[in-house]
Amino acid sequence: MSQKTDNWNKFIANYGLLLAFLLAIIVFSLWSENFLRWGNVQNILIQTTSLGVCAFGLTLIMMMGEIDLSYAGLTGMIGAVMLKMIVAGYSPVSVVLVCLIIGMASGLCIAILVVGLGMSSFMVTLAAWFIYMGLERYIGHGVTHWIYKYDENILQIVQGHAGPLPVPIIIMLGLFLLCWLFQTRTRTGQYILALGENLEAVKEVGLKTKLLKGGTFVAGGLIFGLTGLIETLRIGGSMVYSGRFLLIYALGAVFLGSAAFKAGKYNFPGTLLGALFFYTIINGLTLNMVKFYYIPLVQGLFLILAVAITTVKRGEIEQVQF
Amino acid sequence: MKMGTARNGSEDVVIKASLISKYFPGVIALDNVDFEVRKGETHALVGENGAGKSTLMKILYREYSEDAGSLYIDGKNAKGMGIPQVRNLGLSLIHQDLNLVPIFTVAHNVCMGLEPVNKLGFIDWKELKQKAAPYLREISSDIDLDAKVEELSTSQQQLVTVARALVAHPRFLILDEPTARLDQKSTEVLFDFLDRCKKKGITIIYISHRLEEIYRICDRITVLRDGEKILTVPVQELTQTELVKQMVGRELKQQVPKEESSIGEVVLSVRNLNPVAKAKDISFDLRSGEILGIVGSIGAGKSEVARAIFGADRKKSGVIRMQGEELKIRDPRDAIDAGIALVPEERRKQGLVTTESIRKNMTLASLRKKFCAGGFWIKQRKEKEAVEKSIKDFRLATPSAEQEARLLSGGTQQKVVIGKWLLSDSKIYMFDEPTKGIDVGGKHDIYKMIVDLAKEGAGVIFISNELDEVLAFCDRTLVIFDGRLVKEVINKDTTKDELLFYVMGGKDNESKNG
Repeated sequence: MSQKTDNWNKFIANYGLLLAFLLAIIVFSLWSENFLRWGNVQNILIQTTSLGVCAFGLTLIMMMGEIDLSYAGLTGMIGAVMLKMIVAGYSPVSVVLVCLIIGMASGLCIAILVVGLGMSSFMVTLAAWFIYMGLERYIGHGVTHWIYKYDENILQIVQGHAGPLPVPIIIMLGLFLLCWLFQTRTRTGQYILALGENLEAVKEVGLKTKLLKGGTFVAGGLIFGLTGLIETLRIGGSMVYSGRFLLIYALGAVFLGSAAFKAGKYNFPGTLLGALFFYTIINGLTLNMVKFYYIPLVQGLFLILAVAITTVKRGEIEQVQF
Repeated sequence: MKMGTARNGSEDVVIKASLISKYFPGVIALDNVDFEVRKGETHALVGENGAGKSTLMKILYREYSEDAGSLYIDGKNAKGMGIPQVRNLGLSLIHQDLNLVPIFTVAHNVCMGLEPVNKLGFIDWKELKQKAAPYLREISSDIDLDAKVEELSTSQQQLVTVARALVAHPRFLILDEPTARLDQKSTEVLFDFLDRCKKKGITIIYISHRLEEIYRICDRITVLRDGEKILTVPVQELTQTELVKQMVGRELKQQVPKEESSIGEVVLSVRNLNPVAKAKDISFDLRSGEILGIVGSIGAGKSEVARAIFGADRKKSGVIRMQGEELKIRDPRDAIDAGIALVPEERRKQGLVTTESIRKNMTLASLRKKFCAGGFWIKQRKEKEAVEKSIKDFRLATPSAEQEARLLSGGTQQKVVIGKWLLSDSKIYMFDEPTKGIDVGGKHDIYKMIVDLAKEGAGVIFISNELDEVLAFCDRTLVIFDGRLVKEVINKDTTKDELLFYVMGGKDNESKNG
């Protein structure tokens, strides 16, 4: 009997979020007939892209026991830089490259401060967020610019299709596969997970923990650079502080994701599900004319639910250890 | 040997540390220490807690770098080397702490850092398992390679760290108190393994607090005391008492102070206690002035009994009466209010706020009862006086009461945790492995603290893995095997052999000769 309840608890802890997601889909599709239309599904997926991409970067960093909030400011700053370049007539390729380089440079600076000088990653990246917001204002003068007025081509990155699928979806799913395979199948990916579980264990076998950590911050920065690029193109312009909303959504997606599949542990499939869940809720509620200001309320409740699931799960694990 | 020319002298010295010094804030951890290890020998490194053993080992393994002095490993200057370089020289360290990744499999932990990969650069899990198997089988035959490390017992985890050290094909093996976490059976397994290592010509440095182990497997001994090297001699030239004398620097009359205490009424009676994990249907009585031992191998469920009584874990069922009155204990606060104290096993994790001062740690459990005016304002002077007195009584090695707990040695930390509960004036004290990983002198002090408690009329439960100490100073002993209370013995009527027989799962109706 208790074996049965144990298995049931395990099942809920690992697949509870997936069930909740399916339940939400069922409820929304009964509530509104437009919800399951291909056009709307595409909408959800496209909207999820920048959040998903951003959350993958964050998962990587949270997995090794650190945090990076810089994306909340980096996204907007990259938007401002992109607009400057597009207005000045740079080619799409060079614009993309600059975005990614900025992201990596940001990651490198954070790595130097956190790994090299031993500063707290929370404080450093919180500060970075504010610095980037300041730089965004400095570069873009706080004015919203629309890209289509200057360069239509670059917008194809997010508006184009490859076969039936819009390009952003391919970018998101591609990055997901890449991250997932990297983390679960390669040595480096496994070491990043091990860093978060027991740093000493990694150190003791003679691996270069600082290099690993620093490298992960740079990889995270690269992904945040990509986030800035996609988000700016998705909006179609540089909007003031456009990355701000990502802050809580990305953290939420990663947390929500940790309640799925590998209960209590950050994992990429969970993060993807978490990100999709967030936008599904927004989309479903919006379709049904729920007032926009209730949406954060519903999302907040979901987040607390997810944390509750993981906390209960962790409690269980700790019980066994004593 | 290619490096033969780099060595000097006829002695086959493979590790040569000269005039090594290491300073930490406020402490001289090592002071001009010379340390030499010869090829193929098993060299014991002994000393009290805080003598500098672990620091010296970490310098050898390049986790720390020395502040002064020089170090040659296999004829090579180790200055500027890191862990990867010394590992390449064939040096492996088996840590006191279980530095494993709990969510990885046994096989993965064993091969960590050397995972085989396929053409795509992905880890080849099948080959990884095959690669790990021989190393693990070298030390244990009953650990599942596919099991997650978090599912293993502490003993098994320690054996996994040994297997992991082997993967690097070490020529020099450092073991830092490897048996502290091993049960009797696994200890035998480890010694068999070390014998095989010796035959293969592997040089071993062995840190231990257990005399019999040192005399059983080591060739030479180096004694450290207060960061200085006292001597290096062949084992047979030093008797056990002399060795202890060299370590402590003062003579110990008896290892354990045994005193007759007057045993009174039953103060605690436990009936059909079922903790949430491991132990089942535990019933026993504890009298005032009595020291009751609870023994059993690691993982038998000893700690779970104490934690359930204390309310630290939930319990499924069971009745706990104190002086005849039934107690409702839901959490540690209820237990403390009723006058029950628990000194936990993992003192750093469960008993100590490591970043706070000795003073704050010591009064934590009794603050509300004894040192608060109106239950809110702390009576600072009274608090300070009490702590100063404890520091003197318990001979704590600390510059002041304001020293942060994390800067103290393991033994002193344990004394702080015990001192904390002594200040709480409880009626019942439970000690869970209070002397684990503590040197001889420190053990002596702790025994004395516990005996004094019993003399003052408290009931004491003493949980331990070391039969010798339980036999020596408990009045009565309960044996737990596989979660069940299998035997109760009066200590003066029993022997170590008999106790061990029950600890290892022997039954009354079977022959005791087997």
